[in-house]
Order: sequence, then structure tokens, then C-alpha cells
Amino acid sequence: MSGGIGAHGLATRAARRDGRALLATWSEQHIKWLLVAPAIVLILAITVYPLGYSVWVAFVNFDFLIPGHAFVGLGNFAAVLGDPVALHSVVVTAIFTVADVGIEFVLGLALALALEKTFRGRGVLMAIFVVPLFIAPVIVGQFWSLLLQRPFGPMDYILSVILRHPVTISWLTEFPWDFIGIILADVWQWTSFILVILLAGLAGIASELHEAAAIDGAGGWQNFRFITLPQLVPMILLAVTFRLLGAVNLFDTIFMMTGGGPGTSTYTTAYYLYQTGFQQFHLSQATAGSWLFLILVSVAIFLLVRRLLKVEEA
Amino acid sequence: MDEMIPNEEHERALARELDAWLAGDHSRRHVLAALLGIGAGAAVLPATARAASRAGFLGRQQEQLLEQAAAELASPDTPLGKAQADAVAASTKAPTDGSAYRAVAAAKGKYNNVSLALTYEAGLQALEPRNFSGPLWQQLTGMNYSVVELAHPDLYSKAITEHIAGSGAYDVLDIEPAWIPSLANGGVIAPVDEYVKKYMNEADLNDYHPLFKYLPLYKGKRWGFFDDGDQLELYYRTDVFGDPKLKSAYEAKYKQPYRVPTTWDEYSQVAQFITDQLAPNVYGAVHFRKFGSPGNQYAFCQEFRVNGGVFFDAKTMQAQLATPAGIKTLEQMIAANKASVPGNNDLDAVAAWVAWLTGKSAMHFSWPPTGRMSENYSQRSKAINFVPASKIAGKVGYAIMPGKNGEMASGFVKAISADSRNPEAAYLFAQWQSSPPISLVRVMLPYTLRDPYRISHYTSPIYRSLWPSAKDYLLNLANAANFGITDLIMPGWQDYALTLDRMCTAVWAGKDPKAALEGADAEWNATTRKIGVDAQRAAYQEFLKGVACYPDHTVDAMGQAVHLT
Repeated sequence: MSGGIGAHGLATRAARRDGRALLATWSEQHIKWLLVAPAIVLILAITVYPLGYSVWVAFVNFDFLIPGHAFVGLGNFAAVLGDPVALHSVVVTAIFTVADVGIEFVLGLALALALEKTFRGRGVLMAIFVVPLFIAPVIVGQFWSLLLQRPFGPMDYILSVILRHPVTISWLTEFPWDFIGIILADVWQWTSFILVILLAGLAGIASELHEAAAIDGAGGWQNFRFITLPQLVPMILLAVTFRLLGAVNLFDTIFMMTGGGPGTSTYTTAYYLYQTGFQQFHLSQATAGSWLFLILVSVAIFLLVRRLLKVEEA
Repeated sequence: MDEMIPNEEHERALARELDAWLAGDHSRRHVLAALLGIGAGAAVLPATARAASRAGFLGRQQEQLLEQAAAELASPDTPLGKAQADAVAASTKAPTDGSAYRAVAAAKGKYNNVSLALTYEAGLQALEPRNFSGPLWQQLTGMNYSVVELAHPDLYSKAITEHIAGSGAYDVLDIEPAWIPSLANGGVIAPVDEYVKKYMNEADLNDYHPLFKYLPLYKGKRWGFFDDGDQLELYYRTDVFGDPKLKSAYEAKYKQPYRVPTTWDEYSQVAQFITDQLAPNVYGAVHFRKFGSPGNQYAFCQEFRVNGGVFFDAKTMQAQLATPAGIKTLEQMIAANKASVPGNNDLDAVAAWVAWLTGKSAMHFSWPPTGRMSENYSQRSKAINFVPASKIAGKVGYAIMPGKNGEMASGFVKAISADSRNPEAAYLFAQWQSSPPISLVRVMLPYTLRDPYRISHYTSPIYRSLWPSAKDYLLNLANAANFGITDLIMPGWQDYALTLDRMCTAVWAGKDPKAALEGADAEWNATTRKIGVDAQRAAYQEFLKGVACYPDHTVDAMGQAVHLT
């Protein structure tokens, strides 16, 4: 060190060192907040603000056909609850959700069990099953609409050939065929989602468990009932939860296949809210409906997630 | 700064090129290249591009314009080519007091940096401004344009959302006349009366069929220019109705003349008879009855009013659908459905056209493109090859609707967005595009879905030469408009129409008509209450004042019928 540095210089250096150390300490403690700040601001801007805004919209008049934004209290909520189409749409959503997810689960589980062991052509079959997952639901809706449309769609013709008598089903315009058509389209697309998750779950089950059960004389059904199924429960709950989230928002296929018709028979809640908000421009009623539906779905999802977490803890 | 060509020189050069094209001396490509070089279109292009154009090297943008425009200019020796030549001449040469010329003269050079955003129904409707009127306007005035393609319902919803956002995204809006009250009250569109006074030749305004001249009026103001004569009319097979065996069998069975039906009861009776006699080769009728097809609201509204129905009690504003007129209407529609091609209730408008064009039906009521497709005029365009070649060309007759009063179902009005940053430029484009010579081309393009609406369209010798019975087609369209009745033009029409569509499709699926009508009444009343009973009462009174609200207020009933030969 140079002997020319005096006491003042040393003090200054020490002060600088302390300052840098303080800055480093502060940075270490707070840099994480600086780094995530842009993301937080973005999230606040595009999710929290609109969410808060929607609360305001739900309590005022925000309807293109009615001038002004007068406060209406719970009027918009009352309008939804008093609208028979809204209540009908909740029932329709429940029917589609239970039917879609139920059938997809049974088929997905069966396919997963069938594809668990390797065999020739398994890869090709897997690829075929997974392809629908990569197709946009709106395309799936259009595809099934063309397939089922009477009189030009081929479905009735194919059934006529197979059954050897004329089949004249209006798949898109008559109950219950409209429901069956929509469920067919949804099951076609999403069964493989359950299949993929359950297949991963099956692969994770230790083979020693099955071997031990075999030594104890367990048969195929007992193996499935007491080993496979309990081991698979977390994955089943995961798959079903994800599918329920998708199914309660069923919109695209309805939009393309039936447009909610005939009448309002295939109106799901998502379709009802879209129609009310973005076709009829009763935005405040649609927003109030969205909140009511969110609360309803949240309760169901909360119960499911809690069950899922319990299983994981166990 | 860009080098400018003096105006007189520009005019002379433009006239020389157009004359040469009309005389057949120059190819279309040559003329368009020259137009760009002269500066009609190049005014908006960078100087370097214009220099390249004059040197014979077209810029990429110019090439695109050229290709775009060239695609739609027919040979001058064809009827369409003649109409296009007339349109260009009317825009650039004479008559100088015509609305087309005035619009071009007012816009030329004034809005070089302006780009107009035009909303159009996606698909065929949007092809016309993309391929004909857009590029031509650009070349004539130097104004840019962009076509915003939207699904039909979004022509309404997007106009509103952009207005609420205050984006000024659109300049010229394609809207249904029935949306005018909502959009005008909501401040989405602007009245055009001041511009009309300033720029339009009144004779061109009077060239509209009276029904269509009236339609853009609301609260004493004009909210745009009518631009698509969507008058429903009945198309029928002359061979089926001229069959002597069928004639004698029908007359023996019903003791009534075998003829094109003039009432709705007769319509379903004749349709059922033909189905009984000729199915599965030919059925009595075909309709578009699928939800959102969109046909149910129009079909119901026209029959309901012919049966004496009224939409509301004018004092209480209670809906009046669940009445004997409503029940009779649904019963008539069910009878017609039963007499129609299998799967009738699953068909949309295009699918119904397919059934009609392939000869599966003896009658079909629809929009005017049906007549052009029936004679294979439309199918000469690749753009419209989604419908098959007509197997019934030369065998199609035209009649006004059973019950006489057919629906003027939807239609389009060119309106000016209240948020447009260039309202005058937008107006001038709309005036030019809907002016007699330009609109004639637009309703003649093979792929067009725009239909005749001006007296000069109906009487055009060029249009009448398109196919042997084109004159009858045009005369019947004009006559159908004399007796036409409009949609329910008042705020909430979207909601009221949706209810009717839901009601009808529920009935087709088996719901009891009376219960369906009562449900529809409840929905209509809820809509009325939501918007405000007093406001809707005033709006309904406004509707009642208008021409063609009910059968006793048609153009004919008001003594304004147009009788053409």
C-alpha cells in the first residue's frame, strides 16, 4: 500500500466498502422483488384490475341498450337468477360435465390398462389416441357437425348400412340426439387426456406390489381392486379435476354444433354467458352471471382439490 | 417532396387510357399499370415506386394492387365488363353531376394519407371490396383502404365494442337496417344528412326503390345508404308447376287450381301434394330452419304479420306472439316443414341452396342470390363453388311470397362510424360505392351476395341480358319490394330475433307451439322491461310510422309502388 494515504483516505475507503456491502446486502434481500415486480404489475394490470372492474360492472347497469351506468345493487344477480335460460344452462352444464367426464374416465382407464403392457403396434395406437388432443375444440366441433349433419353428413348413412334399415336421426336438432352428439365429440377429443395421465400413473406403480400379491394368490380383479386402483387414486383425482375444469367451460363444440339449440336445449353456462354478454350486450347481467357461476364452480373445485391434497398427504 | 403531375394533365392521361381500354385497344393490365403510373393510385405511393412504375418496373405494392383489381375487371365485351366500363366512366368523365363523379372529385388528392377501414361480412361479401370497389376507389382517389372481415353477428358486436373502447378502428360499417335504432341511440353511427346535401345528386337518392330509400331513416335522419336488396321471393320450378299430369291430379283432389301458391295454407298444401307425388326425386319445398341458419325469425315474422299478428300491444308494450295469429303461423310452418325435403329442419341457407340447385325441391323462398345461382350465373366464379352447378337452369320461375308480403330480411346499410377520424372520406366512399353505376357492377358480380335495390338496377338492360329470364327476375324483385315488410326495426331486435329463433327450433324439436309462444312472449316482455317500457313504446311508435312495418303499410299500400316493365 502506498504510504501516501492518510487517515481521511482510509476512512473514505472504509465508508465506500461499507456502502457497497450495504448495497449488496440490500440487493440480496430485495432483488427478488425487483425481478418479479414487472410480472406482478403485468398480472395486476391484466387480471386483478379487470377482476375488480367486473365487480363494479356486476353492480351497475352496463348494457349497450340502456344509457348510463346507474348503480342497480343486486339487480343484475336477480336478473340472472330469475332467467329460466340461465338456470337451465346450469343443469345442462351439470349433465354434460358428469356425462363427459364419467365416460371419458371409464374409457380412459380401460384404454390405459389395455395399453399398460408393451405390445406390437402400441406406439401407433398411442399416437392415434393422442391426436385429438392437439386439435382445437372449435375444429372438433366443426368436424363432428359435418359428420352428424342431416341429410348430408355420413353418420346416418353409415348407420343405415350397418343396421340395414333407413336411419334418419337429426343429431343436431332433436333431443336427446343433440346431447349424444355433443358428448360424442367431447369424449372423442378428451378421453386420451385421461388415458395419458392414468398411463403415467400405472407406470409409477411398483411391480413388486403385483408380484407380492401374485405370491399371495391374488387374481386379476383383486390385483386391480386392491393394488392398482388405490395406487392410481391421486392420478385419477388429478385427471378428473383437470377434466372437470374443462368440462364446466364447454363452449366451442356447442358453438359449432348446435349454437345452443334447438331452442335453448344445449345452452351451457359458458354459452349462455357468451350469448348474453357478447351477442346481446347485456354485459352487466353476463358479468353477474359469471360471478355466480365462478362461486358455484369454485365450491366444487375446492372440495375436489382438498380431497386431492389429502390423498397426497396420505 | 413527391413530384406531382399537374391536374389537367392527369385528367387527360386518365381519360386517354380509359378510352383506349373501352375501345379495346389496351389490355386491362396495361390500363391499370398506366393508371398507377399516371398517378390515380400512385398518389399514395412513395415517389420511388411511382418512378419505377413509370419506368415500367412496378413496385410490389403496385403489383399487388394490379393483380387485385385485374382479377375483377371483365372483358369490355361482356355485360359485366360493360357495366364496369360505365362505372369507371361515371367516376371520371360524366355525368359530372352524378354522385359517383362528385364523390371521386371531392376525394381525389384530398385524402392521400387516409386509409379507410371497412367492415364486411367475412367471405363472399368481403370479396367485392377486396377485388373491385376497394382497388378502384384507391386508384381513382389515392385513398387507401382495408377490409375488416367479421362474422355476421360481429358486424354489430364489434362495432359496439370498438365504440365503447373509443378506438376509432372502423370508418365505414356494414350494418343491418334493423340495427340502426340501437346503433344510432348508442352513438355508434353518425347521420349523413349534411353530407348528402353537400355531395349527393338527389336523382340518385330517388333512384332507390322507395322501400330501400326509406330503410336508413330513423328519427327523421338518414343513417347511411341502403346497399343490399335482401327481399325474400319465391322461386319455383316451372317444369313441376307446368306438368299436366300433376295439374289434373291436384285439381281432381282439391277442386282448386294447380298454381304457384298465393297463401301460406295453399303453400303447404301444394308442397305436400308434390312431395306425395314425386318424392324421393323431388319434394314440395325446402327451407333453412336450423338454429342460426338464419331463417326462422324472418319466416316467422312475415307469416305472422300476414296472418294478422302484431308484435306488441302499442299501449302496454306487452308481446302479442301467443295469439291465434302466432299459433296459426307455427302450424303453417310445421305443415310446410313436413312437406319438405328430409332433414329440412337441419338445413342452413347454403344447405337449402344445395337441395334446391340439385333439383330436390319444387319451391324455395330465399334471398335474391338464389335466382342467379339457379341459372348458373354465380357459379362461373370459383369463389362460389361451394354450391353445386344448377340442374334446374331454365326451369325457374319467380313469384312474390305466398300471402303477398315477403320479408325484407336483413339487408345491409353502409353507415359511417361516429368514431371515424375521417368521416367525410368515409362518407364519400360510401356514396361512391352505392351510387347507381358502381352499385350496378357490385350487384352483378357473379360471386356477389349484394342484391339489386335501385330502379336503375331493375331496369338495367345490361343486367337483364345476363340470362334469358333475368328481366322477369328483376321485375319480380321490384314488385316483391312493393309488397315487402321489414324486420322489427327497433332497439332490442337482436334479442327479439334470438327469441324467435329459439322458439321456432324448440317447436321443430317437438315443443308445443302454444307453450313455445307463451315462453317467447315472456322473453320479449323481459327484453322490453330491460330496455325500458317507455323507451320501447316510443321506439315501436317510430317503427309503426315507417313504411313496410305491417302489410297495410307497404310501399304499395302507401301508394308508392314502382311499376316497371
